[in-house]
Amino acid sequence: MKIGPYDFPDDLYYDREHNWARVEGQTVTQGVTDFGQALAGEIIYAEAPRVGREVKQGEPFTSMESGKWVGRIKAIVGGRIIAANEELEFDATVINRDPYGAGWLAKIALADPKDLQTLLRASDPAFAELIAAERKKYNK
Amino acid sequence: MDLYRLGSVGWLESQLIYHTLPRLGLEGLILLSPGSPYVCLGFHQDAEQEVDLAYCSAQGIPVFRREVGGGAVYLDGGQLFYQLVLSREHPLAQGSKEDLYRRLLAPVVAVYRDLGVAADYKPVNDIVVGGRKISGNGAGEIADSLVLVGNLIVDFDYDTMVRVLRVPDEKFRDKVYKSLCDNLTTLRRELAAVPAVAQLEDLLVQRFAEVLGPLEPRPLPPEVYREVERLAPELMAEAWLRRRGRRSSERRLKIASGREIIRHAHKAPGGLIRATVEVADGRFASVDLSGDLFFYPPAQLAVLAERLVGTPVEAAEATIRAFYAEAGIDSPGVTPADLARALSSGS
Repeated sequence: MKIGPYDFPDDLYYDREHNWARVEGQTVTQGVTDFGQALAGEIIYAEAPRVGREVKQGEPFTSMESGKWVGRIKAIVGGRIIAANEELEFDATVINRDPYGAGWLAKIALADPKDLQTLLRASDPAFAELIAAERKKYNK
Repeated sequence: MDLYRLGSVGWLESQLIYHTLPRLGLEGLILLSPGSPYVCLGFHQDAEQEVDLAYCSAQGIPVFRREVGGGAVYLDGGQLFYQLVLSREHPLAQGSKEDLYRRLLAPVVAVYRDLGVAADYKPVNDIVVGGRKISGNGAGEIADSLVLVGNLIVDFDYDTMVRVLRVPDEKFRDKVYKSLCDNLTTLRRELAAVPAVAQLEDLLVQRFAEVLGPLEPRPLPPEVYREVERLAPELMAEAWLRRRGRRSSERRLKIASGREIIRHAHKAPGGLIRATVEVADGRFASVDLSGDLFFYPPAQLAVLAERLVGTPVEAAEATIRAFYAEAGIDSPGVTPADLARALSSGS
């Protein structure tokens, strides 16, 4: 679905930090939303997180840089990193161009399915409120 | 807000203090200068690609990786650092990156103007005088804080700056040196007489207070010194310095916002093409072309390079095609597209 000019696919989960999650069985793929990449501007680098690392929901596990600004990215769910998108280390702008496809950041083996209950769907009124508030805050 | 006016401190403290305040949940404005020189690497940079580590080691120049973005820079007592630590929830920490930089760098622009230097803010995070950079700035999220660090450039060691960088060859280093001299300026260059550090600090305090509210001078709390001691081994560790960073097949060096020097090589069927370009705001500012290609008439390669100066990067191929037709160029196995790829694939 579209909110303003920004795409938010209906089949994904979202957190309040502009991350998305695609759930396939026990594997969660995480990335930055269309709105998140617009906020960041041209992303010059995205660190590939270490495969095998345990992450907790809501805690920083990797970082991106744009405009000499280092932003930390928080894990959308807890679990173990089972894959990282190493291609981003060569061209991070793919996150800007294809945030829901080639711009994925990491795959996490989900530790607790209850983590998904704290996330939002594009059709949730709370999500629309969140994005409206963020658009106002950032004048986007 | 707390003001920590620390004067000249050890080089390591000049970095560690602003790394500790976020970890302790403290806010503040720090003013200081390093007592000795060092190289400071950006958070995502690759130390081995960016810095001549062997040279630095031989010269006794420390190299430190910070948790803030931006590039590698040689820092010494010629710069007065301002380091602002705000909670992510602070009203001044809200808004887009450009809003934040514009808002928080306004005091620094004002200080330069107070000194009679016609400085302007240049998005995203530069301060310029007549197009020349006069302040380095970067930002990052550390713990639950936003950190902005930057400097008033009173003086700058251009020679050592280019010497500590890792470059593909001396020709590239010369190009970087020239570009730095042309595009990075200092208070010493802009003013007949440079004010004392105390006066510069007073101006920064006055102007930052206009944005931050009243600034309360205080000494660093003891817990900051304890946290500095605790953090030092972690941020001085070889593994931290040499952690994997942004790597590239080309050598790309940022001089200032919108200006880079790039060395790239492209292997065409007819030979290897090497290009060293300076790109400023999307246009070629200088072009060097070389390689083991056959290009006839040979003197026209330099003419082509000169023709490209001022051209938008995305127009490289069209410009080269037009030149080929005009000059009757013969380059077996090397097409205008190959040359354009060598010039602009990394731009």
